[in-house]
Amino acid sequence: MNVRRNIGWLIPLLFIGLFPVTLGRISPYYNTVLILVGIYVILAVSLDLLIGFAGQISVGHAAFYAIGAYTSGILTAKHGISPFVALLCGLFASGLVAWGIGRAVLRLKGYYLAMATLGLNAVIVKLITCLASITGGASGLLNIPPFRIFGLTFQDHTYYYYCVWGAVVLVISCCLALAKSPFGTALIAIHSDEEAAGTLGIDCPKYKLHVFVISSMLAGVAGSLFAHFMGFIAPDDFDIFTSILVLVMLFLGGVGTIYGAALGAAFLKLLPEVTYRFQNYELFFHGLILILVLIFMPKGLLGILTHTKDWLFRTKYRSNASLKGTEP
Amino acid sequence: MIDRSALLQFLFSGITLGSVYALIAISLVIVYNVSRVLCFAQGEFFVFGALSMIALTSLGIPMPIGFVLTIVIVSGLGVVIERLLIRPVQKSSVGTVITMTVAISLCLRGLGLLIWGREAHTLPAFTSSKALSIFGAYLSVQVLWIIGAAGFVLLMIWLFFEKTLLGLSMRACAENRLGANLVGISVWKATLFAWAWGAALGALAGAVIAPLIFVRYISGTMPMLKGFTAIAIGGLTTVGSVIAGLLLGIMEAYTVGLISSEFADAIVFSVLILVLLGRSYGILGKTEDGGM
Repeated sequence: MNVRRNIGWLIPLLFIGLFPVTLGRISPYYNTVLILVGIYVILAVSLDLLIGFAGQISVGHAAFYAIGAYTSGILTAKHGISPFVALLCGLFASGLVAWGIGRAVLRLKGYYLAMATLGLNAVIVKLITCLASITGGASGLLNIPPFRIFGLTFQDHTYYYYCVWGAVVLVISCCLALAKSPFGTALIAIHSDEEAAGTLGIDCPKYKLHVFVISSMLAGVAGSLFAHFMGFIAPDDFDIFTSILVLVMLFLGGVGTIYGAALGAAFLKLLPEVTYRFQNYELFFHGLILILVLIFMPKGLLGILTHTKDWLFRTKYRSNASLKGTEP
Repeated sequence: MIDRSALLQFLFSGITLGSVYALIAISLVIVYNVSRVLCFAQGEFFVFGALSMIALTSLGIPMPIGFVLTIVIVSGLGVVIERLLIRPVQKSSVGTVITMTVAISLCLRGLGLLIWGREAHTLPAFTSSKALSIFGAYLSVQVLWIIGAAGFVLLMIWLFFEKTLLGLSMRACAENRLGANLVGISVWKATLFAWAWGAALGALAGAVIAPLIFVRYISGTMPMLKGFTAIAIGGLTTVGSVIAGLLLGIMEAYTVGLISSEFADAIVFSVLILVLLGRSYGILGKTEDGGM
């Protein structure tokens, strides 16, 4: 059945892949928007691994996004290292920081964990602001070169679109594979009941640390991609609001499903394209739409899609949600 | 060498900040303990308190009446939000509830933008804008109002939760919602009152500090984060978070004065992480699951 499910999801991917081709060269503005959507999809999906599967609430995901972006940015802008190597460095730097603090932080549970990660995010952003000689401080880091790999420079945003969405597809497939592996099953067990999982021989601290590191590394990749795309990064891009935004994307789309996170990210990033017309009313309508979605669609946006699919194809009685057990 | 009067000056500003943080922290704690919701919209109650107070005063309403009206309006807002928006999602996962409070905060911020615009507002001092001179340090009269209001409210809260039936039933809900329900306490009523208290205390904090700061529609975030820090350090208890809020304010004032204003927030949040980690290692007492 898994093959069938995956074929269904190839259609949107194909659509995304052919999008610039079919519509000719899409306007640079929408190209930019769609690249940012892709970056946020990576962030939300990586956070879903941590929250949806392992059940560890983090409100500080942007901290690792920042570490990835700044490692990549500083290495390329100030030391002239090739962007691809810098991306890998950013990935490892995020992972390393997560590894260093993970074991201690992940001992916390629930709201305490949420507040500790929130604090972590605030500290990282403040450190970036304070260490102005290295990071450029509050005014930001300039002159980050565009992404380059095997001598191929992604100066043109249409090509960078493919680069980012290629990364998105890679990240989503990795997360899905991870979710279906024994590792993912162990995470779901930890999510359901940590003590029970422990009695079954699952080394909970180790698994939690591993998923934290993986999720942070993916956030680091998103950060690098963002830095090379923008060419300029400032601490404001990575503050607590970014973390909260990613959290909102995740719960809006549907938690513990990977696709839900991607859907939520796309929805929330594209929503301002509609609400900006309201000018001063924008913020209000933005909040109102979120509230309506949360009240009337408790399973998130993906819940609506699966419900519609069930209704259309009458597959209601088949157990079609292989990840059902992950819903909190 | 910094002289003694400067040190005293930092203490005064620390206590001022600390009183506001303590009020916000206690509003967060009451809402959290009774309804198990950590409200990310608490900063907006603070902003609405300050801005409604300013708006009512500029309409020519006398300050004491404006003050009472502000508290009533904002606590009414809290009640409406609880009943209409929080209760439908209360049974969902914690993440959904957090997302809902974030959505509410966006909505309120948008509303604030529509009502008060993008510019910053401030308020004349309650009584006199003069400053008292104590041992060479200056203490504005408004600070006495802030400290007095905080002290008075803490006393009221203590009386309410110790002496009245409603207060006791709310404490019972904080202990165990199911158990409270079984002995005939209306959990929903307690929750509603907790939100009314929470919103009112947030508004009070905003209203009393309004003469000393400039308030914009987005000013609520930092006070809210400091409130989170205070309740995390105080262990989600009322007394603990009041003390933590005061200490936080004093620490911040001394860091700004003696080291640098840039590092103040970094130090505050580092303390938060260290305290939480200490808690997780069992230094500061029992480990709690944070209600999730």
